[in-house]
Amino acid sequence: MSDEKITVSVDPDLEDLIPTFLENRATDVNKLKEALGASDFETLRSVGHSLKGVGGGYGFDKITELGASIESEAKENNIAALDNHIMELEQYLENVEVIFE
Amino acid sequence: MTIEKNDSENTDYGKYKLLVVDDDDDILKLLSRWLKKAGFEVNTCTSAEAALECLGSIRPNLIITDLFMEGMSGMQLLSAIHSKNPLMPVIMLSGSAQIHDAVKATHLGSSAFLTKPIEQGELINEVKRVLRLIRGNRPPEGFGREVIYRSEEMAEVMELAESVADSNVTVFISGATGTGKEIIAKAIHEGSARREHPFIAVNCGALPEQLLESELFGHEKGAFTGANTRHEGLFMAANGGTIFLDEIGDMPLSLQVKLLRVLQDLQVRPVGSIKTYPIDVRIISATHRDLEKAVEAGEFREDLYYRLKVVPLHLPVLDDRREDIPMLAESFLTNFCQTNHRGTQHFSPDAIEYLVSSSWPGNIRQLINTVELSATLCKTEIIPLPIVQKALQNKPQPMQTLKEVKMECEKNYLISVLRISSGNVANAARIAGRNRTEFYKLLGQHELDPADFRVKG
Repeated sequence: MSDEKITVSVDPDLEDLIPTFLENRATDVNKLKEALGASDFETLRSVGHSLKGVGGGYGFDKITELGASIESEAKENNIAALDNHIMELEQYLENVEVIFE
Repeated sequence: MTIEKNDSENTDYGKYKLLVVDDDDDILKLLSRWLKKAGFEVNTCTSAEAALECLGSIRPNLIITDLFMEGMSGMQLLSAIHSKNPLMPVIMLSGSAQIHDAVKATHLGSSAFLTKPIEQGELINEVKRVLRLIRGNRPPEGFGREVIYRSEEMAEVMELAESVADSNVTVFISGATGTGKEIIAKAIHEGSARREHPFIAVNCGALPEQLLESELFGHEKGAFTGANTRHEGLFMAANGGTIFLDEIGDMPLSLQVKLLRVLQDLQVRPVGSIKTYPIDVRIISATHRDLEKAVEAGEFREDLYYRLKVVPLHLPVLDDRREDIPMLAESFLTNFCQTNHRGTQHFSPDAIEYLVSSSWPGNIRQLINTVELSATLCKTEIIPLPIVQKALQNKPQPMQTLKEVKMECEKNYLISVLRISSGNVANAARIAGRNRTEFYKLLGQHELDPADFRVKG
């Protein structure tokens, strides 16, 4: 696992919303892992869908991108790809560093 | 549900209340933050059910809702809102750009459809665009508040009208009969610094040449038979304000020359006078005729045409702005009920649909007639489809009958004669070539009271 920091610029107007936003994404990762364990593809698709919708607005385009991949792989029941994307998301959330500018 | 008021310096939009509905709290917070920053007052709900419940107490000007939500969907919310208030603008958000959803939402009457992830600029622009179109809900101090529309066609006209309102520029309004040219002229006057001064509308097609000249420019005592008093003329009466010359295309050529001189010199010379008087009047003119053709045919002076047509506004026919029909119909109905001291009435949804899909060769004037006839025929609160069908079929011809035209012309003539003679019936009768008894009888037929025309003070 790489622990290289990833820097993301976010609108200072959103500063106070970011901690909750990131906590909620960590919760999403847990939900995704749980759903993957249970082969619950509907939950995987739905969480992926909402990640896709919410990431870019806050400035996290990567979250939108990974959400879209999770949504589409869930439709294909593609466990291996889903596992990869979830891991990538978890890693991203661990290493992301936010600059407000 | 949370209510937060913004205290942004951008107060212009603070008059607008928005309701945002999404079951994703992060989206809700994000959109709410953006909209408040743009100056709006924002309320939020996390479900369609909650939104429906608080709709009555919040009374938003616009609703933004997610399409896919747990429980009731955005599409169901849209239908439920529009069954109560068909004019409420709704912007739909969706996580995926499904064309059939967008089509269905548009069909159900949503004002816009945006795909997530949403961009800040895109959202704000869309909200402002939709709000520009809902003039029925706009703040009362806005430009042209009497003009009802949500169509792009009218929004464009109104935008241009607003941009020239607060100036002295000469405006020329074209458009078919019954499209509301006078209302726009009035809105321009109200939107200008001249609003405290008179707005005077003259129908240049309704009067014979000599009378029109005297009406517009005034006359001195003794200028012609029956002119026993001095008459000031409408240009002078409108001083400081606006004169609206309707049906300018019907003005006789000889009078066009005189009007051109007034526009060039900004002074009028009353009939029979050797003196000229300076005037400060803004000119708005209008016609349903194709003036360019009239110029080609030599019926209208080219130099006058260009002097009048500094800013041309063209009003669309009602058939080209059908989305305005529900708002217009409800508004005319409300006015009719209030004027006639009747209980409130509304159109049933299928009646509105019928009005929207009908053809309106007589434009807004025909719509007003149909609405008023429907209200008269219907004794219940909700006006059903069959009544509206009957009302529209009863008056399939928007054209006036010959008798109506004669009566209208006669009435206009009598009003002019009374104005010129300052309400002196003996003089008025002499001008009209009738004896006093006959003249009184005519006044009675048209419900005209000479006392209304006497110079006060």
